Amino acid sequence: MTETTITRRSFLAASAGVAAVAATSGFVGFSAWEAEQAHAAGEKKAVHSLCNSCSSKCGFTAYVGEDGRFTEMVGDPDHPYCDGTLCARGYGYASIAWSEDRLTDPLKKNDQGKFEAISWDQALSEIAEKTNAIIASDGPQSLIMIQDPRPSGSFYTKRFMNALGSANVYTHGVSCNMSKNSGMTQAIGAADFTADVANANMIMFLGRSYADGIRPSSLHQLRDAKANGVHIVIVDPRQNASCLYADEWVPIKPGTDLALILAMAHVLIKDGKYDADYIANYTVGFEDWAQRVQEYTPEWAAEITGIPAETIERLANEMWEAAPKACIEQGWRAAFGCAHQNSGETARALCLFNTLLGCWGIEGGAYFPASASAGKLTDPKFAAPAAPAEKIIGQAEYPVSSGGMGVSTFALSTIPEGRVKGVFFYQSNCVAGYSNPAQLSEFVQAAELSVAIDVQMTETCQACQYVLPDTSYLERLEVPEFVGGKIPVVSLRDRVLEKIHPNTKPVDEIFTELANACGVGQYFQFTIDELADAQLQTIGLSLDELREKGTITFPEKALKYGLKTTWNTADKKVHFTSDACVAAGFPASPGWLEPLVMPGEGQFRLVGGKQAIHTHTQTANIEPLMAITKMYGLERIWMNADVAASMGIEDGDEVEVSSDTHTGRTRVKVTQRIEPTSIYLPSHYGCSVPEQRTAYNVGLRQMDFVPFHIEPGYGGTMSQETLVTVKKVGA
Amino acid sequence: MTRYGMLIDTTNCIGCFACRTACQRQNGQDPEVDYIRYEERETGTLPFVHHETVPLQCMHCEDAPCVHVCPTGASYIAEGGVVKVDESKCIGCRYCMAACPYQVRVHNKVSGAVEKCKFCHAWVYEHPETPSNTCVTACVTGCRIFGDLDDPNSELSRAIVEKNALPIAGDLTKAKIFYVR
Repeated sequence: MTETTITRRSFLAASAGVAAVAATSGFVGFSAWEAEQAHAAGEKKAVHSLCNSCSSKCGFTAYVGEDGRFTEMVGDPDHPYCDGTLCARGYGYASIAWSEDRLTDPLKKNDQGKFEAISWDQALSEIAEKTNAIIASDGPQSLIMIQDPRPSGSFYTKRFMNALGSANVYTHGVSCNMSKNSGMTQAIGAADFTADVANANMIMFLGRSYADGIRPSSLHQLRDAKANGVHIVIVDPRQNASCLYADEWVPIKPGTDLALILAMAHVLIKDGKYDADYIANYTVGFEDWAQRVQEYTPEWAAEITGIPAETIERLANEMWEAAPKACIEQGWRAAFGCAHQNSGETARALCLFNTLLGCWGIEGGAYFPASASAGKLTDPKFAAPAAPAEKIIGQAEYPVSSGGMGVSTFALSTIPEGRVKGVFFYQSNCVAGYSNPAQLSEFVQAAELSVAIDVQMTETCQACQYVLPDTSYLERLEVPEFVGGKIPVVSLRDRVLEKIHPNTKPVDEIFTELANACGVGQYFQFTIDELADAQLQTIGLSLDELREKGTITFPEKALKYGLKTTWNTADKKVHFTSDACVAAGFPASPGWLEPLVMPGEGQFRLVGGKQAIHTHTQTANIEPLMAITKMYGLERIWMNADVAASMGIEDGDEVEVSSDTHTGRTRVKVTQRIEPTSIYLPSHYGCSVPEQRTAYNVGLRQMDFVPFHIEPGYGGTMSQETLVTVKKVGA
Repeated sequence: MTRYGMLIDTTNCIGCFACRTACQRQNGQDPEVDYIRYEERETGTLPFVHHETVPLQCMHCEDAPCVHVCPTGASYIAEGGVVKVDESKCIGCRYCMAACPYQVRVHNKVSGAVEKCKFCHAWVYEHPETPSNTCVTACVTGCRIFGDLDDPNSELSRAIVEKNALPIAGDLTKAKIFYVR
């Protein structure tokens, strides 16, 4: 035990020669650790970056020693999303840079369906040749791009596709907040708002949990709300981790939040408990909704939601008594981001209920974050390609879906019929998460051209013909990120580490070289450093200055509370009724819409949801995070304890879960923390990619149990519209 | 004298594992080597269910069973009352692991030695004016306080009194981590 040399420390591994270092296992002894701490203290270089473990992209400072060792990360106090602290994923995900499962070379699938390493030159020229052939035969609109937005990714993917003449740039929205954003837009002309949680009198959450899908600043707000005596109500089929701060957990049958909102609106409108002045002056269509909700009594909703009628009536009245410093929180993915057939309508109704409370824009109510942005680039070398005249594929078929996100699953479904012929993915594991994986994989494999750009082999990469290796987020500079908040900021993802694998390329280089190969390189005649600096110069900053400070605030643009009286709708008003919704087949104002399926005897609705240590399927292969999953059995499904007892199932038993599309085995956590008609399956597991050696085959994958289908009108993936049966293995 | 200790307010702990991953990250540990483990407790019936997460780590006991049983003197109590392991003396016999009532020592399969929370010892000594621990600064909800138990005016000492914080197992080992539950 005298050997105390440092041979392997996954996080601290020197970036140079990391492969050799990582191959040998070792440890750090205490004396070496102490010496290291003392040694590193005086020599650390601070480099600013943005986390990549989820879409929040929190700002942090990485401390790197002279020897290239990355020894510490500290969240930015000024970043609106992290507010000084990072979450478990942030610390864990940093290890992706040194993952032994990184993609290191461009890959091409051979005739046997196996990937072979090829040169960049070959990859770029073959992809360009196929791209141009598709454009020549079918036009640029037969090409699509699917990406999970990141600063450089958003800029370069859009520019690349527009340069080719295609409007088809999609985000991961269909499996995230598509329905929420689209429904809200129909009501208030904005895709989102922010509940002023810490300053409210009362706040109601529908399914969203700040303590599970963590954005640290939101969690701080919730913690402060409790300390401030805010009345916090959490409506969720599951007693989620945020319930630690709640006064009341209200279990609800999943997919029925709309009925709860409608019944609460019924209670308030019936008794004249609403902000009549606000409704008279700043809204249209109230009478239509008032009439519609007459039938939605608390007794009616009790049957559907499982919440007692007196509870519904009480909650509605408590919200009114707390108004205007009260609202239903905006949600994100959770209960109505993309979950059910009625998700878009739920989001619309939620905004209308909040309108009754008169909470818009005021302190303690619901506000719209202040924002900042770069100005227009005037130097001709940054000239952008013309925006294509066509709309994104899927907009016509899903008319109230958000065009900014796009119904990617629909676009993919048109591959077999030949409407879409080429598909690009950037940092998107679409196949594993956006809808039924087997179906999505089949669509992608039918394409004439399919290219995935990522840091590790994924289910999406597996389905593609070409895979291009990205650098990790720690190895590159990206386009400056402007973030809204009470005080908006601009923040930078800078190069923390030198490139680890020499044949990987950062996203900006990949798209620049692809554009050059496709003959549209004229829109990419600049480096990422030049672009970042030029964007910052438009607002009187420079890249050097942002590199130095990491996050720069715009206090002069800070949020000012005040009743919001003008909206980004055609007539500047809140819309209780929507013509677009009518055209899409919905009632003018939102009414009850059944979920697509409802569990019968012996059936359960399969619900998903985040755990604090993972982001969808993206972090499952991260060793420090998966080690937690395994140690605490976090991949287990949750089953209501009374139901389990009636079925003879005990905590830890192995069970078989079956839906129409899939059957799989896992272990069960028996708990009182879930209502009886639901089974909760954490959304992170069931990786089917052997190259992800840490994540492979751990647990079940939620989307395997969900058929391929799309929410009418709004385009969400209806991730919880599936029923399962559960039986004990060996019983 | 300085006597380092900690307070953990479990009424503000969401069980998010940020302290564990931050600890591993800043201390450069392998993924399975955890200095912080978690106990979960669920009581009541739906909808009146109470759920509690209790993070546990080396309590830096004044009456430390691990130190008493260590046959080689590898486990010892150092300056500031911090219980330490001198890995050059550890023979990996794991007596300390058996003796620890809190089960917070881990056997590092690679080194063969036993490890545990170090109270971020080196950092603390380098920053005597602002001693802190990685798990304290990393905690997203701020449920941890680190400081000097012998200073009655330290934030830690005051919080222990105000919140009536107690060691997890009473005075069993004179533990220096105090819990609010």
